[in-house]
Order: sequence, then C-alpha cells, then structure tokens
Amino acid sequence: MTKYYLPVAIGALMLAFWVSPNAQEIAAGVAIFLFGMLMLEDGFKLLGGGTLERLLERATRSVPRSILFGIVSTTLLQSSSLVSVITISFLSAGLMSLMGGVGIIFGANIGTTTGAWLVAGLGLKVNIAAYAMPMIALSIILVFQKSKVLRGVGYALAGLGFLFLGIHHMKEGFEAYKDQIDLLRFALPGLVGLVVYTLLGTVSTVIMQSSHATMVLVLTALAAGQITYENALALAIGGNIGTTVTAIIGSLSANFQGKRLAVAHLVFNLTTAAVALIFIGQLRDAVDWVSAMVGINAEDYALKLAVFHTIFNVLGVVLMLPLMRRLVSALERRIVEPAPDVSRPRFLNNAVDAFPETLESALRKEVLHLHENATELIQHGLNLHRHEIFETDDIARTVRESRTASDLDVEEGYERRVKTLYSAIVEFTTRAGDKQLPPQVAQKVYDLRDVASDIVQAVKSVKHLRKNVLRYTTRYEGAVTELYDGLRTEIARILVEIRKLELADPEERSSLWLDQEQAQIEEDARETTRHIDRLIRTGKIKPNAATSFLNDSAYAYGAMRQLIKAARAYYIERDSSVAEVEKLLALDEDDFGPGAAG
Amino acid sequence: METGYAIAECNRGARMGLKTLANKVVEYDARLARGKADEIKPEHVRKVLGKLEKKTADLKAEIASTEKEDKKARLKRKLAIALEHVERAEWLLDKIT
Repeated sequence: MTKYYLPVAIGALMLAFWVSPNAQEIAAGVAIFLFGMLMLEDGFKLLGGGTLERLLERATRSVPRSILFGIVSTTLLQSSSLVSVITISFLSAGLMSLMGGVGIIFGANIGTTTGAWLVAGLGLKVNIAAYAMPMIALSIILVFQKSKVLRGVGYALAGLGFLFLGIHHMKEGFEAYKDQIDLLRFALPGLVGLVVYTLLGTVSTVIMQSSHATMVLVLTALAAGQITYENALALAIGGNIGTTVTAIIGSLSANFQGKRLAVAHLVFNLTTAAVALIFIGQLRDAVDWVSAMVGINAEDYALKLAVFHTIFNVLGVVLMLPLMRRLVSALERRIVEPAPDVSRPRFLNNAVDAFPETLESALRKEVLHLHENATELIQHGLNLHRHEIFETDDIARTVRESRTASDLDVEEGYERRVKTLYSAIVEFTTRAGDKQLPPQVAQKVYDLRDVASDIVQAVKSVKHLRKNVLRYTTRYEGAVTELYDGLRTEIARILVEIRKLELADPEERSSLWLDQEQAQIEEDARETTRHIDRLIRTGKIKPNAATSFLNDSAYAYGAMRQLIKAARAYYIERDSSVAEVEKLLALDEDDFGPGAAG
Repeated sequence: METGYAIAECNRGARMGLKTLANKVVEYDARLARGKADEIKPEHVRKVLGKLEKKTADLKAEIASTEKEDKKARLKRKLAIALEHVERAEWLLDKIT
C-alpha cells in the first residue's frame, strides 16, 4: 500500500492541476501551510529547554489554566484553527501534556467567540494573512542570529507567517468555488433546514479556512433576509465543525500526540454541535433572555448570533469538562504510541542536534538503549531470559533450570540491535566533536562513546561463548555443564547488579558499588583456574573440554570486566567533584589481586 | 561475628589501600594544580561517605536475613569492600578537613 502512495499522490495532484488551475494554488497553500507547521515545530524545539517550557508548563499546569491560555491566545490571534495547530506543534515537540493540549482546545473554542463579537458588534475583521509577508521577512533576520532564543523566535515567526500565507493561498484558490455558495438556494425550514445549514456552515468554513469568513457570510445573508435566524444559528454551528479541519491538516505532519489532539478537537466540536442542534429551541430562548438582560435589541440578529455563538461554545466546554479525562484516556487507547524499533536509534535525531545542551542527555539515553539491547542479546546468547533473571531471588538456580536453547540468531541480533546503534552513537559523537562544545561536555560525550564501545566488546566476547553454551548447557553433562553454568551465573549476576544501579535513586547510588562486583569476579576467575586443575587431575573433565572452557572463561570474564567498566563510567556521579572523590576511593587492579580485601 | 570477619578482611587490605589512596591523592593534587580536576571539598566526601554507610548498613541487614551459606559468603565479601571504601573515605575526609 505504502509503495503506491507516492505515485498515486503525485498523479492525483498532476491530474487536479490539469483539470483546474485553481487546484495549483490550493495545493500550494496546503504545502505552505504544512511547511509553516514544520517551521513552527522547529522554532518551539529551539525555544525548548528553557523559558518556553516553563511558560507552557505554568500555563498548562491545571485544566483551568490551560483553558484560560486557550481563551487568551485565541482572542489575541483571532483564530482557533491557528491556536489548534500551534498546540499540535507544542505537543509534537513534547512541550506539553495531552491533557494540557485538550484544555487549550476547549479554551480556544471560547476564545473564538470574541471574533463573532468583533464581526457582529464592531464590523471588524482581523486579517491575519496581511501579516504573513512582514513576518516571513523579519523572521529570516532572526533565523541567521547566533542566539538560540532569537533563532527559535525566528523559526516560530516564519512558521506563523507561512501558516498565514498558506491559508491565504487556500482562500485565493477557493475563490472560484466560493461564488457557488449561494445561501438562498438552501433556504429550508425545520429540522432538514438545520441539518443542511450546519453542513453548509462546515463546508463553507473548510473552503474558506476561516469560521470568521463564514460568520461574515451568515451576517450578510441574515441582514439581507436571505436566511432565517434559525438557519443562521445552524450555519454558526457548522462553522465550528469546519474549523477542526485545519487542525486535522496540521496533525498530518505531527506525531501521535498531535493526531490525538486533532481528534479531540473534532470530538469536542462535533459533540457540542450535536447538543446545540438538539436543544436549538432552548438555546434560542436562552439567547433571547441573555440579550434582553444585556440590553441587545430584539431585532439585532447579528449581536444575538454572537450571544448564541458564545453560549453554545461555553455550554460545550461545561458539558465536556467532566468527560475530559475519559476523552484523553480513550484517545490514548485508540491512537497508540508506535512501538519503538529497538534496532534504530531512539534519541539521536536532528532535533537533538539543534539543542547542544541536550546532546549529552540524548547520548546518555541512547547508550542506555544500547545497553538494554546488549543485555537482552547477552542473556539470549547464554540461553537465559531477561525477565526470569531480573525477577529471580536465586540466580544460580534459575540458570541451572534454563536448559532450552534460545532460537535467537546471535550474529543477526548483534548486527541489527547492537552494531547499528553503536554506529549511530559513533557518528553522533563525531558530529558533536565538530560543534566546539565546552571541554567538560565534550569529555562526557567521549566518555559515553567509550561506554558504548565497552558494551559492544562485551557482546562480542559473549558471542564467542555461544557455540559451547549450546553444546554444554542444553542438557546436563556433568562437570563441564556446571562449569558453563557457573560462567552464565556470574555474567547474569553482573547484569543484575548493573540493573540495580539503573533502578537506584541517583542520589543514593555510587559507582563504587561496582568494586564489590569486580572483586568478586577476579576472585571467581582465580578460583575457576584452580577448579579446572582439580577436575583434570581427578579425571572429571577431559583435557580438550578443559581447554575449550579456559578459552571461553577468558572471554566470559573479559565480558564481565567490560560491562563493569562501562557501568562504572556510565553511573559516575554527575557532580564532577563528587566524581573525583569516587575515582580516588575506587579500588585499583592491585587491590583485586590475591590476598586483597575482596 | 560476621561483621567481625568482614572487618578483619577489610583491615588486611586497608594498609595497602590507604597507601594507594595516598598516591592517588598526590596525583590528584598535581592535576588540580594544572586546572585539570575539580576541587574536592569536605561536603563532597561526606556525600559519598553517606552513600557508603547506607550501603554497608543494607549489606549487614541482608547478611542477617540470608540463610544460604554461599550467598552469605558473597555478601560478606561485598561488605569487606564497602568497609574498605568507608575507611578510605574517612581517611580522605580527615586529610582535607
């Protein structure tokens, strides 16, 4: 299906361009709009990690705050569609929670009613498209600045400019179709009229990309007596539905969170519209009552329409607020986060490249990802299962009971899950090296690359064991099986201890704990050699099996040392002075020799 | 008695350990003078000491609740190392205070 998508999309566009020249401008408008979305996201990412995150964090800390943020931002920008697409960008950049995003959408629906008041009361129409050109022109100056904040503002401004420009071109393109919307043709009474006018309001807003434009059309028609007041109410309801289409277009380039928000917007507006249509009579009475209360003339249908717009949007928020958590849960269930591909880098992406200060953090996460993949591969290579080893209270017994050969192709697993990640890490650190990082950050980046290298070496060492692990541990063969079980147990113990470090509170853990493991494996390595000597002398093991085992044990202890070395560097204290203390106190190679404390 | 064993093991390596530590401190001082190391203050050592003392207490509690002899022996060896670290940390704290 995917392989046909590109030629079909290009073919459809070419056909549309040939049939109707207007389609070119509409398609270009959509393209510019989506490009604006991408620039907005880039801008917000650049502004991330500081002020913007704190502002958004504060603005979306609670549902009432999010709603207020939505109301204020939509009132200022005079476009709920625009606020929706910006919110989708925030969500895609991971700068806010879905709950906060839905709150903003609720608020945006109230904020958009101020536009109806402006149109109806003051006859004003804020033409955001007029700002597009100066915004784009100004933004390019900011984009070329060194300051990250200025560049972020530049990208965000350019993004907004392109969004406006995109909407403008879509409107221009639809200009030809707009003339075909003759409201008089659909002047119908009763329920049918309500439904038809709601659909008409939706289509009109989708075509003109603005619920404000629909409101102008409605007010003009109402003033000219072309439509009834009830038809006008239905058109306003339809306009609210149509405005969600912009958000849906915006979510096309967004991640799963952005898509969830676009659907939340659609659900909210559809539900509100349905309730408004069902209770249209009561709402009309409420509008009359409120209008009389605030002194609006009974014949001033334009202002009464603004009152209606406000009442039904506020009503929608009041109705949906109690269901908000359920809505968010349902969206999280329906639009699932894509399962991460373990063989691909998860954290080293272009966005991280744009944030030098998050570079180290992303690299740390990726190295941990590599370690997780390596841990799984090592355990499978030893015919062990990660969850069994990590959950057992007797590792030796669990190892003895693990006699089934893992069907994992270790070589293929190494290529796919370890080597690809390691290559990405090496490439990333090389790229980072060209960025003139502060010396301390640069050192940490290179240390993390070395950690990755040690992990890879450990996996390679375990690969050497695979043949004899399959030969001697899938069924009990006496002393030789016990020897290999011993090696498997010791490697598993090291992995368990490293996992304990990962799970421990960073304020309580210390890389010095690994000295205890290092001392243990050095003691075990010495004891293994003595034990082999005894087994050969007593004839419990054949010399050729003993030789193979001695070779394999060298690889096994090598893997253990590499894993400990990697963990020691990875879990070193983040405070560099405390890290110095740990380095001073750490035991040296001589301390692990025969007769040492351990 | 179990702790006594660990302390005896610890003392055996302690003399050599402290000598090694003293050498490392000399090397650290040289790096510090060249501006290649961060300054260590008593609170930095106390922080590490706090972690080590907690680990020591945890190990002692685990030894007390463990019945299997081989596991107990492993834990005692770990405790010996932890006590060695504590001794080194106390020496370092004394030196820089």
